[in-house]
Amino acid sequence: MTSGEIFGHLTVAALVFMLLPVTRLGLAARGAALLAALGLAFVPVAGLSIGDYTRSYTDDVAITSLLWLLWGVALRVSGRAPTPLRQHRQLALVFAVLALALYPATLGLAAHDPYRLGFSPAPMLAAAWVLCLGLWWMRNALAVALISLATVAYLLDIKDSDNYWDYLVDPLLGLYCCVYLARDGWRRRRGQAAAAL
Amino acid sequence: MPITTINPASALEGRYPVTAPSLRFWLVPLLLSLLFGYALWQARALEVAPFAVPAPAEGAGDSALDRLLVPEFESRFASTGFHSHVHSSSIAPLPDGGLISVWFAGSREGAEDVNIRTSRYDPATQRWGEEFKLISRETTERVLQRDIRKLGNPVISLAPNGRLWLFYVSVSMGGWAGSAINAMHSDDGGDSWSAPRRLITSPFLNISTLVRNPPVFHRDGSMGLPVYHEFLGKFAEYLYLSPDGRILDKFRISSGNHSLQPAIVPLGGDSALALLRNAGVEHGKVLATYTRDRGRTWSEHVPVAPWNPDSAVAAIGEGDGHILVALNDIADGRFRLTLYQTDETLKNWRQVAVLDESPRPEEWVEPALFRDSLHRKYTAIAEDGEETPGMLAELQRHAEKRACRHGSCTFKYEYPTLIRAANGDFHMVYSWNNTLIKHVVFNHAWVEKG
Repeated sequence: MTSGEIFGHLTVAALVFMLLPVTRLGLAARGAALLAALGLAFVPVAGLSIGDYTRSYTDDVAITSLLWLLWGVALRVSGRAPTPLRQHRQLALVFAVLALALYPATLGLAAHDPYRLGFSPAPMLAAAWVLCLGLWWMRNALAVALISLATVAYLLDIKDSDNYWDYLVDPLLGLYCCVYLARDGWRRRRGQAAAAL
Repeated sequence: MPITTINPASALEGRYPVTAPSLRFWLVPLLLSLLFGYALWQARALEVAPFAVPAPAEGAGDSALDRLLVPEFESRFASTGFHSHVHSSSIAPLPDGGLISVWFAGSREGAEDVNIRTSRYDPATQRWGEEFKLISRETTERVLQRDIRKLGNPVISLAPNGRLWLFYVSVSMGGWAGSAINAMHSDDGGDSWSAPRRLITSPFLNISTLVRNPPVFHRDGSMGLPVYHEFLGKFAEYLYLSPDGRILDKFRISSGNHSLQPAIVPLGGDSALALLRNAGVEHGKVLATYTRDRGRTWSEHVPVAPWNPDSAVAAIGEGDGHILVALNDIADGRFRLTLYQTDETLKNWRQVAVLDESPRPEEWVEPALFRDSLHRKYTAIAEDGEETPGMLAELQRHAEKRACRHGSCTFKYEYPTLIRAANGDFHMVYSWNNTLIKHVVFNHAWVEKG
């Protein structure tokens, strides 16, 4: 299996597990549910596994997406508290900004193509360095871990892509973060309105 | 000892602690600095090598010079089988002096049974061999471990180091806008090929990058593959690849929603021309743009003289400042394929020859005329033994299935690819009524006489 195939199957397994209602189950049952989700990703259908089909349509997810998902899985399996809200918001903001800066322009809605910055990524690496320092100053260790490990993966060339962007963000991550921020903002506004009454 | 002291009341919200950072707090910035410092040290600035401009034809001896002086033009079919849809051919010279051509064929464009087919031209016998399947949808799916719905647009090219490159698109979902590019190579003149490898060219699900025209090469062996997008916009790009096929950079050739399928002609070490298919909604002319910095930036594209009915354009430099351009110079349809000679300014256009055309200067003709013309043209250039009644009937059946609708038929001579072999001969392949691939070969003397 290539690294892309491994990541594809792990992504499907993690997504399925995160959607399962396992919080009230015991540790052994949660572990069994995780194994079942992993097994589901390998179920063959007409010559390809479910993981392969998913990867066919979504392409390989970013390293940050996969690690964030796996972190969520680890918290759920171990029964630990989810990522603090403020950290989650910061993460969502970072990846939403990256996605909004990248996708519309690179798909042709602007004359310049930000994607090409990722092929000779010195300016992007410098920006990611500053971003990581800032996130660490804000005590967001998870965000620092995701971005720095994605950079390690880029240096090790473990994805098929030669572009740093593809290690940092993918469309599904961008979509999730935008929807999360929109929903979070709406909830906060509704909460403020209720408090004012 | 904890790194920081967390205020329990703010833990759930993840607010910042108020205590001063400990010494251990600074370990992470130090590690980050080491990581990103190393990454920055590794990330060297990209140098784009000058274009490798093809030299004028070699005159290796008296016989070679004679060949250059005597006008020569020949035509034949490169494909030998009949399929309901045969399209998008490409051609490359082989190290042994032969030729190899590729195209896609199947029951219809985008069908699951479409595969990439190939045949070889033997210079000794001066004939194309039997065509055969080079790569199929099923093989691509099995190797890439991805659901593949259809294949298309193969492009073949011989690199200066003798490596043959094959690029083709595959689609997992949707129409051609969902295409991704796959690359294969051969180091033994096409006898054996590497497994297909997916090129990651777009951050958005890696969709909507297509290839149509052959790459150009730079002096260090790197190559520039002209590609195009047709998802939210229709625009051209220059994919800059290392000699082993890794993506080094990507430069935008055009922007907007109406330019496709760039054909690149190197003009000098730093400069090149791109001719673009005009995919605008109104009748349009061929579009042109220039680079003066080895492909990194391109001028605003402008229309030039010939018409372009949203169809593919092929171009190649002659090495003496002239450029040959093959295209459908008509406002509508693809029933006439013309070869022009122009210069680097693109202001002077001379018609060299009409390579193929409908017997009547209009897009749709009656079936009887279509059938008659098809037979005459086919028998005029078919190799000995190919023009049996059975073959003619088969040709007619496939051609009419493709070309006839509501009592009228249309000729299609389209999707040309132009190359120049080491001996100076020009070779062109194109879709012949989407039923066969036609190959024409001519020399510089024929161009000048035309």
